[in-house]
Amino acid sequence: MTAPKNDSLPPERELKVGIGALVETRTFDVPDGDAPPWDATTKFAVVGADVDRQDGIAKASGRAKYAYDITFPGLLQAVILRSKIARGKVATIDLEPARGMPGVAAVIGLKDAGKKVRFVGDEIAAVCAPTIDQCRDALERIVVTYEQEPHTVDFLQSSDAPVVDDSGELVDPWSEDGDLDKALAAATVAHTGTYRTEVQTHGSMETHGAVAKWSGDDLDLWMSTQATFGVRGEIAQAMRAADVKCTGVTIHAEFVGGGFGSKFTAGAEGRAVALLARAANAPVKLMLDRYEDHTCAGNRPAALMQFRAGLDQDGVITAWDQRTFGGCGHNGQGGGVAIPDHFLRKAARRKDRMHKDLATDADPGRPMRAPGHPQGFFGAELFLDELAAAAGLDPLVLRQKNDPQAIRQQQYTLGAERFGYAKARADAAANNAQKGVRILRGVGVASARWGNLGNDGRGRDGSGGHSALCRIHQDGSVEARSGAQDIGTGLKTVLAILTAEELGIRAEQVRATAGHTSDPSGPAAGGSTTTPSLAPAIRHAAFLCRQQLASKVADHLGVAATEVVFADGKIGTAAKSLTFADACKLIGPNPLEARGERFPNYKGDPFERGVCGLQFAEVEVDSWTGLVRVVRMLAIQDCGIVLAKKPAESQVLGAMIQGIGFALHEQRIMDRQSGRMLNGDFLRYKVPGAVDIPPMDVIMQSVANGHTNCSAAGLGEAPSCAAAASIANAVFHAASVPLRHLPITPDKVLKALSQRKAK
Amino acid sequence: MTEDRSTGSAFSRRAFLKGASAAAVTGAAATAATHARGPVELETFAPGTHAIALQVNGKEQKLAVESRTTLLDALRDRLDLTGAKKGCDRGACGGCTVIVDGVTVNSCLMLAIDAIGKPITTVEGLAQGGVDHPLVQNFAHCDAMQCGFCTPGMVMSSLQCLNQNQQPDRQTIQRAIAGNICRCGTYGRVCEAVERTAAGRGDQALRAPAHGGSK
Repeated sequence: MTAPKNDSLPPERELKVGIGALVETRTFDVPDGDAPPWDATTKFAVVGADVDRQDGIAKASGRAKYAYDITFPGLLQAVILRSKIARGKVATIDLEPARGMPGVAAVIGLKDAGKKVRFVGDEIAAVCAPTIDQCRDALERIVVTYEQEPHTVDFLQSSDAPVVDDSGELVDPWSEDGDLDKALAAATVAHTGTYRTEVQTHGSMETHGAVAKWSGDDLDLWMSTQATFGVRGEIAQAMRAADVKCTGVTIHAEFVGGGFGSKFTAGAEGRAVALLARAANAPVKLMLDRYEDHTCAGNRPAALMQFRAGLDQDGVITAWDQRTFGGCGHNGQGGGVAIPDHFLRKAARRKDRMHKDLATDADPGRPMRAPGHPQGFFGAELFLDELAAAAGLDPLVLRQKNDPQAIRQQQYTLGAERFGYAKARADAAANNAQKGVRILRGVGVASARWGNLGNDGRGRDGSGGHSALCRIHQDGSVEARSGAQDIGTGLKTVLAILTAEELGIRAEQVRATAGHTSDPSGPAAGGSTTTPSLAPAIRHAAFLCRQQLASKVADHLGVAATEVVFADGKIGTAAKSLTFADACKLIGPNPLEARGERFPNYKGDPFERGVCGLQFAEVEVDSWTGLVRVVRMLAIQDCGIVLAKKPAESQVLGAMIQGIGFALHEQRIMDRQSGRMLNGDFLRYKVPGAVDIPPMDVIMQSVANGHTNCSAAGLGEAPSCAAAASIANAVFHAASVPLRHLPITPDKVLKALSQRKAK
Repeated sequence: MTEDRSTGSAFSRRAFLKGASAAAVTGAAATAATHARGPVELETFAPGTHAIALQVNGKEQKLAVESRTTLLDALRDRLDLTGAKKGCDRGACGGCTVIVDGVTVNSCLMLAIDAIGKPITTVEGLAQGGVDHPLVQNFAHCDAMQCGFCTPGMVMSSLQCLNQNQQPDRQTIQRAIAGNICRCGTYGRVCEAVERTAAGRGDQALRAPAHGGSK
């Protein structure tokens, strides 16, 4: 950025916010001391450019060390013994026979006799030994007996489950609601439908786990986590609870092999590895195996949703009603469903939304990429397409008529043009109208949104808060550091880009580090909050360092500090300047160092604190085999000001691919008899592979939002909302009947097509 | 917990492997001279620890393994070659892909003792004289990764694809990496990285300033 930066700013600042034709001038309260905010007129050198991921080479070359890869001399491995029953109590447990097995250094009980067993896979005990094979040999010697109780792993078999008929429709009468009932009765077109999704597992490629190493009473943990500071507290608390003296806990998570919401907690494995390392007086590694990861480390709960709604003669949604159920694990939590309610601004709705989480004797759900949204968006967006069909409206037109958000309105136009939506819809319809056609075609569209644009991390009393560290050394090297974690989303790249932009250097000149709790604190990688929460603090840290360096350069050159510009690797004025490297020679042996502050979000955000997106999908449905193939997809996604372009695009592409899995392939299959997951591996739990992926396009839209000094927004969740929904809508277009139960597997398609013929 | 153990059965893959190698000892003694198929000199290993040598990335590495130790565990836990990842330990994810005797294998499905005498290339073997392989550079350039855990395995399958076909089309690349699962969803960009490598791009692109945008 080239404009001279004024250090003493009035608190009220006019900023140009928005995108393209939607840019408008708004006044924002900019906190005193913050870096001057960027807006829609800012010209960038590094932000939004094609900068490579900071750790790309480290990862591709195999040099990146994940928790799974950490080793020490004398490292022991550990394995957890897990329950084979789904519900009951531990009657007796005898750990002793394991202690005498070859190599065994420590054995700990995780569940005493009398304790409840809540699902197949519940933690019973753990051992450590030099090799995993030795651990497994030892675990086989632990004798556990259970008092077994009847269980259920199917949420529709639980005692308070709703009644559904053979076609999957909820049949209980709706409770009365005066205004809503009136609006439904007055509707020109009314429709109702029940939708269902199955349990999806996160399937991070690196399983959960950690390496624990004690140095005296200090504990270091290299953990596969998406919440370094959260798990630090959790482990410290667990050590206190276990009466283990622990003077400090440091978490290291410089590389994390995915999380998708499943790695906010240290889990039983995190606590166990710390205790085993203490008991064995040696470093210990405990990583879950793939079956454990599928069955004991969280999932996206199942959902059952019924909608009914009405349209007026203009295609405006005037009434909307819903009742939803979550199919959860033993804690009966986390099955909430979120729908695209941006379409419902003019609809009469029930005051108390009806939702019920139903417990089963299975592994509890955990947040998974846009919790509740892929389920609810699938159901509601497919329902909207059915509603449009009932009214004789094009589904895109129905959305345009009901969407009040300006950003998404321009996305409808842009997306329809880029995807060739109208022609593709018409071609598909013509294809499907042919007599005896085998391959049916369909085109679908669905919306995306996410409402969280980050936080300052402060407590209610204003204390605490996220921060970041910037250092500039005498030798010209620059460090940007955050103790928060980069789980593949690109935090390290964001650190480098913001620092480089501020200092007028290349991103490659910045050494970015993330994931050690010895560095400044930041949020968990959840809810798309990491970037918008941290980016303003990262930029502020670089801004403070820049001010220090500007003052040194100004003294040296004999110019005013306010005249000094940082650009193109030079520092100074148009007349006199130093190269960045030469300027750094003015620094003493101690580096310039600053902690960036995360100021509160600015007030006056015109974008309702959220981001908008839209996705299109075209599919082929083989009417002979029932197989659905996605032919192409397009995503348009607003992401605040796009900071790291390549990782941002990658994240949207990844969300689309995960959406293909959710729409067509993925489901946890449980054995009702034993309560076990039958497909807890990557052979039978099918996640999308390379051959399942069609050509995909992403259009990133950079929207200055006046939310913070850098207009950052997060990106994990929003594109996850729309992918499965757009595919399900395309399948509806192709098949002329809605497939209301994900995943859309061939058996369901063939059944639906045969019923269509029967009609 | 392995999936087989939780059924309550005593049968597990490792137990099977143990048993199989024990059986091989007696079987080989009886039939070595008349063995009709397979290796000419069948080397057998009893259960327990053995000192072996593996040819890894052009160097002989001496290490101690149990007869049941997989090549993956030997590489990772004995030689600290952690580029090969353990994503499933069942040959389903491809994270552990290495090249043995010119063929990509899931190193979690191969015993270390079965790799004796065969040239093994791991992802670490691709860097030469401190310079990364163009394919590795192109993975970074194309952002063919997110969390990166599957990436080294993806690189090895991609390398083999290029070894067999200097100008692979998109479908050929997709098939070559069909055994590599990426949960973050980077397949398209992996294909781009392979195509870019096939087109002879590498070093040059990386040396160019990576920043752009307007001034």
